[in-house]
Amino acid sequence: MNYELVSGFETHIELSTKTKIFCGCTTQFGGEPNSHCCPVCIGLPGTLPVLNKEVVRFAVKAGLAVHGKIAEVAKMDRKNYCYPDLAKAYQISQLYAPLIIGGYIELSNGRKIRLHHIHIEEDAGKLIHQHGDTYVDYNRGGVPLIEIVSEPDIRSIDEAKEYVEKLQQVMRWVGISDCKMQEGSMRCDVNISVRPAGSEAFGTRTEIKNMNSITNIARAMAYEYERQVDLLESGGKVIQETLRFDDASGTTSPMRSKEDAHDYRYFRDPDLVTINVPRDEVERLRAEMPELPAEKRERYEAEYGIPEKDAALLTKYRRISEYFDKAIEGVKSPKTVSNFIIGQIFRRVETEADKEIFDVAVTPERLNELVRLLDSGKIRNNLAKSTLEKMLDTGKGALDFISESDMGGVDDSALLALCQAAVAGNPKAVEDFKSGKEKAIKALVGNVMKNSRGKADAVAAEAKIKELILS
Amino acid sequence: MVTREDVENIALLSKLFVPEEELDGLTKSMQEIIDFADAINNAPASAEGFDNINNLSNVFREDEVVPSYPVAEILKNAPEQAEDHFLVRNRE
Amino acid sequence: MGLIQTIHEKLVSRELSCTELTKAYLEQIDSANPALNAYVCVTGEEALAAAAAVDKKLAAGEELGLLEGVPMALKDNMSTKGVLTTCCSKILTGYKPIYDATVWELLKAQNAVMLGKTNMDEFAMGSSCENSCYGGAMNPFDVNHVSGGSSGGAASAVGGNLAAYGLGSDTGGSIRQPASFCGAVGLKPTYGAVSRYGLIAYASSLDQIGPITKTVEDAAVVFDAISKPDPRDSTCLGAKGGATAQQLGSDIKGMKVGIAREYLDGVRDDVKQAVLNAAKTYEALGAQIVYFDLPVLKFALPVYYIIACAEASSNLGRYDGIRYGYKTARYNGTHDMICRTRSEGFGEEVKRRILLGTYVLSAGYYDAYYKKATDLRGTIIKAFNDAFAHCDVILAPTVPMTAFEKGHAASDPIETYLTDICTVPVNIAGLPAVSVPCGFNQKGMPIGMQLIGKSFDEATILNAAYHYQQAAPENFTDTKWGVKL
Repeated sequence: MNYELVSGFETHIELSTKTKIFCGCTTQFGGEPNSHCCPVCIGLPGTLPVLNKEVVRFAVKAGLAVHGKIAEVAKMDRKNYCYPDLAKAYQISQLYAPLIIGGYIELSNGRKIRLHHIHIEEDAGKLIHQHGDTYVDYNRGGVPLIEIVSEPDIRSIDEAKEYVEKLQQVMRWVGISDCKMQEGSMRCDVNISVRPAGSEAFGTRTEIKNMNSITNIARAMAYEYERQVDLLESGGKVIQETLRFDDASGTTSPMRSKEDAHDYRYFRDPDLVTINVPRDEVERLRAEMPELPAEKRERYEAEYGIPEKDAALLTKYRRISEYFDKAIEGVKSPKTVSNFIIGQIFRRVETEADKEIFDVAVTPERLNELVRLLDSGKIRNNLAKSTLEKMLDTGKGALDFISESDMGGVDDSALLALCQAAVAGNPKAVEDFKSGKEKAIKALVGNVMKNSRGKADAVAAEAKIKELILS
Repeated sequence: MVTREDVENIALLSKLFVPEEELDGLTKSMQEIIDFADAINNAPASAEGFDNINNLSNVFREDEVVPSYPVAEILKNAPEQAEDHFLVRNRE
Repeated sequence: MGLIQTIHEKLVSRELSCTELTKAYLEQIDSANPALNAYVCVTGEEALAAAAAVDKKLAAGEELGLLEGVPMALKDNMSTKGVLTTCCSKILTGYKPIYDATVWELLKAQNAVMLGKTNMDEFAMGSSCENSCYGGAMNPFDVNHVSGGSSGGAASAVGGNLAAYGLGSDTGGSIRQPASFCGAVGLKPTYGAVSRYGLIAYASSLDQIGPITKTVEDAAVVFDAISKPDPRDSTCLGAKGGATAQQLGSDIKGMKVGIAREYLDGVRDDVKQAVLNAAKTYEALGAQIVYFDLPVLKFALPVYYIIACAEASSNLGRYDGIRYGYKTARYNGTHDMICRTRSEGFGEEVKRRILLGTYVLSAGYYDAYYKKATDLRGTIIKAFNDAFAHCDVILAPTVPMTAFEKGHAASDPIETYLTDICTVPVNIAGLPAVSVPCGFNQKGMPIGMQLIGKSFDEATILNAAYHYQQAAPENFTDTKWGVKL
């Protein structure tokens, strides 16, 4: 029988506010153990939480970024469970009245993964288990989180990966989190079940906790899918349980023991008052929202004729698209700018981390200047390319490398003369080419380019040289 | 009806040990208190609802960093500590 | 004249130095505390240092604020930096906070002289003070009687003249009940008038700090000093309507004093009579007595216990032996350590309330108990609002009885809970109420009555209480203990 995978995600994202959700301690990552702490975030008796306004603003931005509805009335609840990383033995979270209702993430196949809600809550501290001893560090305790709870709308591992990537992209885009899975500022609980293809009813689900990389999400889901299908095929039943994924073995295993019996006994936190985001504040934040990546990508394709794949690359990180937007101001062909960015510039900005920062030696204004020279026909593509390399090396502007005499093209008779000179001056290369070394032609073209100071059209030169040698 | 199992379960949730010999007595006493609390179920349905005492909303702090406490202060009352951490020593 | 004013004048006139005064209190604590057990921690050195600073100011000819140099005491559930704060629980053995409660910060800024921390029922759960891990505080009118609870130590200290005033906390009557038992004045402010920051929580939506004093004037002065907005407590607005002390003595002719019949049900005869006599006094003062019904009051006690225990079960989850306080000696793994620490560290009543609170919040019971109780809270608030359409203050007994003999607190939990029947409604509704002495029973034990006011209308109930105090001074008698000024 064929089985369909059904999955929903609970994604925790740490907000990049300056301070914790209920006290003024810094949210900075790292630091000596317990050095980002105060009486409030270590839960000393008598302390009280006061909600960080920026957390609400950030969560509203997150909600707007996924087309969610900002609740008129939101409240904070206590989720009670006793564990050493939780200083108060309850986590302040939201159950009964979360801040954001609904919303969706649209995948490239056109499917919309609906969101149930987004709520705000506090992170727990960190436990280090060593030789059976437990060390507790509360630096992360009280760092603000949003939890994005999706509906069980995901139907494949590829969809799951794209869902996480899209969430990560859009949350970074609106500037509320760095979403670094390896640092734990984004992590997912994956709910997964299987059902016979075509069936409407949901199967029993399991929940894989605390996944911290997209690769592992895919591995864990693949394993869990197989495990559940095997179970059902062999006449067994899936037990609803919480699982952990073991990176080394690539398998899942049950997580909780009886000690962790959980019944969270949620109730309204009496220490905090109602949140009522004024509608004009929501509208103000909506107006301040940047154009979102999906909208931008579509516009690049439609308005500038940029291929879908390139448009996706340009909109993967906000900085790149902002760079692109500046560089295309007033140019005839935005596509040329796109080609320069995705080609030559990306070769200098290889890692994803660097692409996200997109700190390029050539300012978008200077790239714009170069492309305008190209647009006006004053220089040719080859010269533009080589100039861009020099600009990338030095950070200088195009006119530092291009003189007046470089401007203007090379006409046909001049090109012929240059090609004849190249053939005559490089008999070895000509011989090599004749004996079948296709690459030898490059040396001849290079000679033409050099002698024309990059003004010649390389494609035309190559054709002309071939013609001269083979005739 | 409060059962022994209920009491065992809430004791576990409360992280309290109830010695076997006290379980029956505690179950009975819990039942009495719950019977007493059950009186509220004779009350008329409430139309008012309740949010918070003074119906307050939107009390916030600004996102401004306040210096944290020195680690020594944070750990000052810890029954056990090591290497700037709170510690639960589980080795003999 | 209030005691605080008296002390202030003696200090300012240099009749008495602050050091002499403080020493006098410390000496009396030394001799009386073994019998009264009002203090669980005496901070003599700090008190004398604070007193010396006040004397220095006096010597320099600087002006003194009214509370400056006045010796006082804090209930042991208010955080005091570097000074033991245990909630009279074994589980907070050795705990010295690293920060000050807001109320203490406010008083310290006015150079209050703290003599020490006062006894209480463990985590403020109890009505006799006998649930203290230090043993109960005794009644200064007769040490064979309890001081009441949970702020028994504060009431005993004030009644026994071992502090000019004390701060207590009131979750279901814990200021008013012991004040009533010990012949003192006790003000439970409106929820949100006084900051809870630093007050070790019992039930967060009910807890409120307030003064226990000798006179109504003192209560007004202390309330005015501590009822400030606090950015660290989201629920705290501070007082509204200006200093209450300045409004004492304003005319009460025509004031409507309401009596809800339900408050007199099941109240012992001597108490009922004393309250009805007080009503007559008010009539004589020109007030008008209005009787009315408040039938929803019969649900107040279960509503209170459900809400208080639910919040307590959550508030007390943090005592796990890791960050502060008591930790068990022998255990096998973290879970076992936490369970042993809590089982050994909490007393019986605290454990009972944690279990009850866990029960009413747990899956399957939340709607029937916690949710229902919270909804009824809305009904009770509305009933009080409606009542205040017909009267300015509500007069009621504080406790249905007088202080019981030690060891006679009912063994049955429910019977004990019934002693709170008159006090809990105002906590549920968040209203202010002041308990004032209104007579004595045959054995000479004080009887208290309470005046309940509209939200943030402390000024009116204090004024009403003040008029009564002026009209019936015989009910404000002193005990043999402590400092005589």
